[in-house]
Amino acid sequence: MDTLSIVRGITAGDQRIVARAISIIEEDNDRSYEIIRSIYGMTGHAHIIGITGPPGVGKSTMIGVLSRKLTEMGKKVSILAVDASSPFSGGTILGNRIRMQDTLSRYGIYMRSVSNRGMTGGLSRSTWNIVKVLDAAGSDFIIIETVGAGQSDIDIVYLADTVIVTLAPGLGDSIQAIKSGMMEIGDIFVINKMDREDSFFALKDIMDNVYERNGWMPRVVGTNSLKGEGYDDLIRAIDDHRTFSVAHGGKRRIRYREEVRLALSRIVERHVWKEFGKLLESGEMDSYYDEHLDPNTVATEIFAQNNGLSQGNSVERRVEF
Amino acid sequence: MEAGKNLSSSRPIKVLLAKPAIDGHDRGIFVLARALRDAGMDVIYAGLLPTPEQVVDIAISEDVDVIGLSLLNGAHMTAFKKVVDLLKERGVEDIAVVGGGIIPDDDKPKLEAIGVTGNYGPGTPLSTIIEHIRKRGEEARKKKEM
Repeated sequence: MDTLSIVRGITAGDQRIVARAISIIEEDNDRSYEIIRSIYGMTGHAHIIGITGPPGVGKSTMIGVLSRKLTEMGKKVSILAVDASSPFSGGTILGNRIRMQDTLSRYGIYMRSVSNRGMTGGLSRSTWNIVKVLDAAGSDFIIIETVGAGQSDIDIVYLADTVIVTLAPGLGDSIQAIKSGMMEIGDIFVINKMDREDSFFALKDIMDNVYERNGWMPRVVGTNSLKGEGYDDLIRAIDDHRTFSVAHGGKRRIRYREEVRLALSRIVERHVWKEFGKLLESGEMDSYYDEHLDPNTVATEIFAQNNGLSQGNSVERRVEF
Repeated sequence: MEAGKNLSSSRPIKVLLAKPAIDGHDRGIFVLARALRDAGMDVIYAGLLPTPEQVVDIAISEDVDVIGLSLLNGAHMTAFKKVVDLLKERGVEDIAVVGGGIIPDDDKPKLEAIGVTGNYGPGTPLSTIIEHIRKRGEEARKKKEM
């Protein structure tokens, strides 16, 4: 399929072409960037909601209910869920869809599962560009579910307009554990599973630990996804935060800078591996090993010798005693 | 992990595993899901009791290369065929369909004839199934790139 038909399909909201386009974006090659370039002018309309939180608190189920409510309000919702790949095989089991399939089928909501491809931070490298495809396809809301690894899932703070941190009663010490990371990134905190024992203590525990940040006081909402309770409050909180962030438009500028930084580091990284990757396979590595030379010195030396920046001074290789 | 592995632009084969009828025997499909992941593939499991319509919807939304269908309840001739028919109806030609479960030898050629290959039963080595899915997946991927 040529790029023009793909771009036309995306802007017409054709789910099959959107699906194919996302695959091309995931391949992260020149073609991917060509598509992004062509649709970029049509992005910026969607409100991006990031949902994060520890495993098992009900993030996927919550997205199912939330997307249903938003669709019933006449909004077009798309969902992107990120799962962790195996560090050994690179393969992934994408399991988020099971919890929301009934809603997706009934309301014709587009949902895509992607692997994080070994990236830390809770998102994949291509997540940023996939969001642009969903945006250009006319979504009013894009809901992103991060890997759910807990404290390290913080890349979402750059990508999303509104970050929802989901927790559940009974996490006890794990709430303590995430305080330093996640308590700082949430615009809205949701205590899910409010039917559980001690749920009001969990609610209070979070309320005691949120503070105003950049002019926004984080909201704390309790939900019960089985009965759909609390979701009207959640939607109101999302709407309030959306109004707030439109009025204080700084966040999208920060995101833009972060996107350029990521793109730049990707170019640098690719360049570096093209230049230096083969040196790692070379026989010299064995001689460095036999010399018992420390890895940092070796890396500094390889870099200095191969990038033309070397001033002719050889790196101090070993401290003599 | 070899150097720069994450920078590879090639995408793993993506497989949807599903039991498109009333059949709760999911141990086998779980074992297979894990084996395929360990073989480096992206695997989606459709959950229990999806309809053939849902299976095709998921396959298209997720842009998978292979649909792996498993049934142990004898409904394969109707349910597998329904999935194949729906794909045809929606003009999808670049997703391969493979089957497995309790499938009598007499049914295998009939399934092959409608494009459902493999049709492995209990006791088949996982490596045989993985190889077959990889081969069909690569064929499907070639069609997508045309």
